[in-house]
Amino acid sequence: MSAYIDARTLPGGTVLSPDIAIVGGGPAGISLALALADTKLNVLLLESGGRDFDSNIQSLYAGAASGVPYAALDAGRLRFLGGGTNHWGGWCRPMDEIDFEARDWIAHSGWPFPRKALEPYFPRAQTLVEAGAWTYDGSGDAIASAKGPVLPLGKGGVYTSWFQFSKMRGDVLPTQFGKRYEENLRRAAHVTPLLHANVTAIRLAPDASRVDHLDVATLNASGGIGTRLTVKPRVTVLACGGMENVRLLLASNDVMKPGLGNQNGLVGRFFADNPIPRDVATLVSFSGALAPFYASNLAMDNGAILRATFAPTAEFRRARKLAGSLSTVEQPVTLDETGTAAVVTTAIALGVDASRARAYSLGCGIELKPDPDRRLTLTGERDALGLPRLKLHMTLSDEDFARFRLTLAELGRQLLASKAGMLRINCSTREEWLKNMDWGHHHLGTTRMHVDPKQGVVNADGQVHGVPNLYIAGSGVFPSYSASNPTMNLVALTLRLGDHLKKVAA
Amino acid sequence: MKRRTIVAGLGVAGAAAAAGLYRFTDLFVKHYPPTPYDDVLAVIDREQASRLGRAALRTMPDFDVAKTAARLRAAGGISGAAAQDVEQERMTEADGWVVPQSVALIAALAAKFQP
Ligand SMILES: Cc1cc2nc3c(=O)[nH]c(=O)nc-3n(C[C@H](O)[C@H](O)[C@H](O)COP(=O)(O)OP(=O)(O)OC[C@H]3O[C@@H](n4cnc5c(N)ncnc54)[C@H](O)[C@@H]3O)c2cc1C
Repeated sequence: MSAYIDARTLPGGTVLSPDIAIVGGGPAGISLALALADTKLNVLLLESGGRDFDSNIQSLYAGAASGVPYAALDAGRLRFLGGGTNHWGGWCRPMDEIDFEARDWIAHSGWPFPRKALEPYFPRAQTLVEAGAWTYDGSGDAIASAKGPVLPLGKGGVYTSWFQFSKMRGDVLPTQFGKRYEENLRRAAHVTPLLHANVTAIRLAPDASRVDHLDVATLNASGGIGTRLTVKPRVTVLACGGMENVRLLLASNDVMKPGLGNQNGLVGRFFADNPIPRDVATLVSFSGALAPFYASNLAMDNGAILRATFAPTAEFRRARKLAGSLSTVEQPVTLDETGTAAVVTTAIALGVDASRARAYSLGCGIELKPDPDRRLTLTGERDALGLPRLKLHMTLSDEDFARFRLTLAELGRQLLASKAGMLRINCSTREEWLKNMDWGHHHLGTTRMHVDPKQGVVNADGQVHGVPNLYIAGSGVFPSYSASNPTMNLVALTLRLGDHLKKVAA
Repeated sequence: MKRRTIVAGLGVAGAAAAAGLYRFTDLFVKHYPPTPYDDVLAVIDREQASRLGRAALRTMPDFDVAKTAARLRAAGGISGAAAQDVEQERMTEADGWVVPQSVALIAALAAKFQP
């Protein structure tokens, strides 16, 4: 039994020497701690926040932005135990095989291993995010059809795919890792969660061969620096999220001047998220209302909560040089005069009865192409703990939208082919795409994984190139991104890292 | 009154009544002046089609009425043409609506002859 420790109660100058220090108690950090709980390794889980939101701690996340309008840096993250899962939507979907491939039409794409390498970890990741029985595309159609008809699509490049949803016990949706796994961590004999412990620097040995220690500071009641501690782990794993990992690496520049792991200028580059433009299309179902699992998340007989989405097939993506996308029904809408005319005329031409037709808006999540200029850097401004703040330069290329548009057009054609419905594409110009723009708050790519140190910050095991006892967990290591929401996938990747650490640290 | 005048008068009244009736039924079934393409247009709801057609015409600066009618006739009517277009990926957008090319064409034809 290990108790949670509040770092503010430790005497200043305390030195802790665990086998493994995990920096960050979000889903990545907590999953890793749980994965290592059945070993004899002493694990220290350092978490900046406490059990609940605190505005002083949260303000450490504030930063600057330029380029395409994006969420404020302290709005898309939460700095307390459980991290982003304290406000996530619980949408889960495994990344597709093609997402891992080097796609010659998408520069910088490709993982150092195929999806197969993650598959053994999906079942446990699915359990940790509490998304129910593994259903997804394997049996989604069959299971959902008990609740209503799946819209038939003619032969073509788009298919009906399935999201699943995280569901914490009782009626709390979705799983908040901090609360949900508090007892599990408490019961883990060798895991010590240290709350209110902000890592402020990663100190390398003078020859830069390894991490020597971590500087840790607490915030006092008035928002200034409280206690300073030192942690001397054998192995350090950064799990502070795709933005904050960058900040710590770049700010830890006393030995490696460009920043830790940044000898090739890659740390912070290739930032990505999944843009979620709303109302990108209008989908008409000729036969009337769609089954309820289109516009809402629906509990199925096997306990899984499913929602239908439209995805391009791997073949279609290859043939048309497309990125990933997932288009999901949002809500019923009313057609204007031209829309009604389009439905009446097309239905007559196809010989179908559209007298009960219903229209819905579609939203989507898009995979962006990797862009080295979409980038996090440090600013001159410092937070209460003395760390330089981050600045994000956000970009979005018209090509990303143009690619996605082809998928929508194909979906429209397939609806006509099956005589089930039709589709209007609502966005053509950049302004139209940006008008209803939302973001997934999926912080991807900033410490990308690549076997070649010139092209990646970490290697295929998540180890920072050149620093054998420093690892990174989380979606920041995704070298290319997929349209799937990252959390279930990053948990699987973290469990894989756990297996690696069991071998190297034992 | 001469008989001829009465007959003529009845004829005019009859025509007027018929015209009235014609206009009256217009409320339910729109009547259009004849065109050389009535056979093509007969199967669709011309009023609705012309609304879509106005949007379609914006992307068809070279729209040719006779060629369009010939193409639709050759395809054996709009049903066959639309299904073939979908199958062979001959699609177009009218005000963003993804429609078979033949549907956009028949709609544009309807718009050209919408009084
Ligand atoms: C509104 C919203 C909705 C979302 N919905 C979904 C969804 O439906 N599906 C999905 O897959 N994903 C979703 N996400 C994304 C999801 O939250 C992230 O993918 C996930 O939380 C990332 O996990 P992580 O552990 O890598 O980082 P985080 O969750 O960010 O956790 C990082 C942890 O590190 C701690 N920390 C930070 N700095 C330090 C430091 N210096 N020292 C010590 N500790 C530190 C933080 O307090 C935090 O607890 C959503 C995000 C948002 C904002």
